[in-house]
Amino acid sequence: MSDLESSIRETAKNLLTEGKVDLILGYEKGALPLRAAPCFITDPTDVDRLVFDYSCDLNLAKFLREHPEKKLGIISKGCVGRGVIHLVVENQLNKENITIIGIPCQGVINRSRVIRKIGEREILEVKVENDKLLVKGKDFEESLPLDDYINNLCKTCHYKSPPVADITVGEATASSLQDNFEDITSFESKTPGEKMEYFKDELNRCIRCYACREACPVCYCSLCFIDQNKPVWFGKTADITDNFIFHMIRALHVAGRCVSCGACSSVCPMGIDLNLLNRKVEQIVKERYNFESGISLETPPPMGAHKFEDGQEFMIEED
Amino acid sequence: MVEETKQAAKGEASEEWKPKIIAFLCNWCSYAGADLAGVSRVQYPPNIRIVRVPCSGRINPFFIIKSLSAGWDGILVSGCHPGDCHYISGNYVARRRFAILRDLLIFMGVQPERLNFTWVSAAEGERFGKVVKKTVENVKSVGPNKMFEKDW
Amino acid sequence: MMQKMISKDKISKFISVLQKEYKIFGPVREKGDIVFKEVQSADEMDLDYLNSKIPPKSVLFPMVDTLFSYKKDGEKVEIIENKPYNKVVIFGIRPCDAQSFYLLHNFFNFGKFKDPNFLDRLLNTVLIGIGCLNPRNTCFCTSVNGGPFNSEHVDILLTKFKENYFIASSTDDGDVILKKMDFLSDAKDSDVKEIEEMQKKVESSIKIIEDLEDLHKILDNMYEDPLWEECALGCLGCGTCSYLCPTCHCFDVVDENKPDGSGRRVRIWDTCQFPLFTLETSGHNPRTNKIQRARQRIYHKFNYYPKNYNLIGCVGCGRCILYCPVSNAARVGEHIGPLAWKSMNFIPSAAIASRLGVLFLSLP
Ligand code: SF4
Ligand code: SF4
Ligand code: SF4
Ligand code: SF4
Ligand code: SF4
Repeated sequence: MSDLESSIRETAKNLLTEGKVDLILGYEKGALPLRAAPCFITDPTDVDRLVFDYSCDLNLAKFLREHPEKKLGIISKGCVGRGVIHLVVENQLNKENITIIGIPCQGVINRSRVIRKIGEREILEVKVENDKLLVKGKDFEESLPLDDYINNLCKTCHYKSPPVADITVGEATASSLQDNFEDITSFESKTPGEKMEYFKDELNRCIRCYACREACPVCYCSLCFIDQNKPVWFGKTADITDNFIFHMIRALHVAGRCVSCGACSSVCPMGIDLNLLNRKVEQIVKERYNFESGISLETPPPMGAHKFEDGQEFMIEED
Repeated sequence: MVEETKQAAKGEASEEWKPKIIAFLCNWCSYAGADLAGVSRVQYPPNIRIVRVPCSGRINPFFIIKSLSAGWDGILVSGCHPGDCHYISGNYVARRRFAILRDLLIFMGVQPERLNFTWVSAAEGERFGKVVKKTVENVKSVGPNKMFEKDW
Repeated sequence: MMQKMISKDKISKFISVLQKEYKIFGPVREKGDIVFKEVQSADEMDLDYLNSKIPPKSVLFPMVDTLFSYKKDGEKVEIIENKPYNKVVIFGIRPCDAQSFYLLHNFFNFGKFKDPNFLDRLLNTVLIGIGCLNPRNTCFCTSVNGGPFNSEHVDILLTKFKENYFIASSTDDGDVILKKMDFLSDAKDSDVKEIEEMQKKVESSIKIIEDLEDLHKILDNMYEDPLWEECALGCLGCGTCSYLCPTCHCFDVVDENKPDGSGRRVRIWDTCQFPLFTLETSGHNPRTNKIQRARQRIYHKFNYYPKNYNLIGCVGCGRCILYCPVSNAARVGEHIGPLAWKSMNFIPSAAIASRLGVLFLSLP
């Protein structure tokens, strides 16, 4: 158990015993290595289930809307906290009911990448030691460079600790990261054909399980556009055109709202990488409207605001 | 001589293909502008089909993506100039929406030439003709839209 | 029923002989995942795989399955029926997945509602399985009437043995195929004995969950149990556990058309975990919350299925445990949650453990 974990448990226990919250939302060990599950604690004696490590890739903010009557405490790494704040800004949550317990995050491991590397061998144990990721199975043991298996979005994350928190556990980390969206610029040097080819190739394997949508804190619509059938707008088959359009519109819908947690890719059973889309929408709203989601309770989201001077360089002129 | 024949053949081939362009025009400015273009006998290519909407703010990005997925070769969207919206701010909302939509679509590999946005006022019949001409040129330069064709 | 040996390097010959008559589907590694795909040669297959991510039900019950298509010419509409199915061999299928076809067959052949697409394909399919030498920690086929070398639902079963495969047919179709292969060698009695011992050893390494046979009776009295609430808490309500389940068979039917007036009717996978699944035309939805949906999946497999077909609706492949995006502790592997926890040294909350205790009286 790390120091951070014991402070998390301590804090959770105090909040519960003092009656400040009815429910603590955190992470617990999942059933398999590299898995963390959401954990709902109401009984202070249960706090020892709480963990926090490289496997905690879900965005817990997702689950808050399901408990509108309760006073909640949420163990928040940076993007979880951002998720909560953004949902408050969108009037989906009542901040008064929520205690954000901020914790520092080191990033999460990209599980699909590890599994692809290990191949058809069963992973029985995964450990992090310094800058190495140790993966063990029945008759193999591999030591992988940790940095290569950290999620891309974590590498560009500016908010390892939540920008707004009610309680801070552990050392809050500030980021000095210079992000000029080089990944996006380099992708954009491709031709339109190549770009489409890349996405079609990646999205081809999508099985339309919608885990990406269900895990996303800002995808909370009671009836998602893809489920609308009066009229049917877009196809629900797992054909590549339908997959492409589904992901295109989902990316559009999370523009200015996505908190770059990467949960949508982490949960994908097919290991589909949606990070590039998350990064692109992050860049669009940052560069066009100087907006970052979930960092302030005051700033309205860009799709809910407008200015006379907003850029319109893309408008066609007659000559 | 051979070169010339080739050129001519090329010209013919591209002549055969007539782009289909869907235009979403707001009722108060752009549709009236198109009307004026008609009344003033402004010449413009006949490749567009107009859908009249109350305001550019009414244009759901679905309309645009659905049109592309249904095989329209290009899109033209036009509303009132900034400051002139009949509903005060509909076109500002629309502008942000289109900016994001356009950036994202281009990022995913849709050719920018297919996505045409502009402002045309009720008095700009002339401008409407020019905008359509420009749009048709744009779309012609990228050819037919087969991006979302299903292969069954 | 025949028992032979085939050396590893003859597998490609085996495949090419089969190819004269059949389309071959086999386990192929694609972007790191194993999927069942049509193959042209044995080299394309990875026969040392653990199990495929998407179950081979996708061959008989594809994710997108055209039921019929049509063309329109003025007022005339021409309906285009599907072509008759080719004869297919699914090569390298795991015994649990082969068993799933047997379960699916019950559903698609139920009463007077026979599904021609699935049944025609099934009739034209020969299953050549491969026994599992390395069952995963998450496998529990032996608790649901299966086993890593169960030949009951395949036509032919291969078991890897040194540089060879032990190859045994268990049906007439299997015999016919093996007779065509004149390059097989006889299996020595001593080898067969050794192989059987090895099989037993592997089989006994798989943990047993004892009370699954009686689970449906226990479930009869648990419909309103608070356990389901616990199960639903962290569940996303996604399609993963059912889409990747070899025995889940639910589908939706959608019509598609093109601007030129042609169109098709397709069936696509669907799942009881989506709210839309039970939404009726009237607007009424009998299953409005996640709790009811979580319960449905468990009841379908372990209560309704046993009642309707006298079988457990699960083959123990463990995919739901492996792929559930949230590793849903209360629900993971649904009934086998505690088993998975035990193997991972995971201590469930007192609350969950005591609730689940009702279900899992004897943990290994
Ligand atoms: S779109 Fe993905 S990265 Fe963005 S908030 Fe949703 S789950 Fe997180
Ligand atoms: S994809 Fe769009 S419509 Fe669907 S849930 Fe997300 S935000 Fe809502
Ligand atoms: S989670 Fe993955 S497979 Fe499921 S719908 Fe999203 S991208 Fe597709
Ligand atoms: S568990 Fe759900 S999806 Fe699977 S077969 Fe049963 S009702 Fe269908
Ligand atoms: S149990 Fe897991 S895989 Fe199944 S619906 Fe819930 S989150 Fe998805």
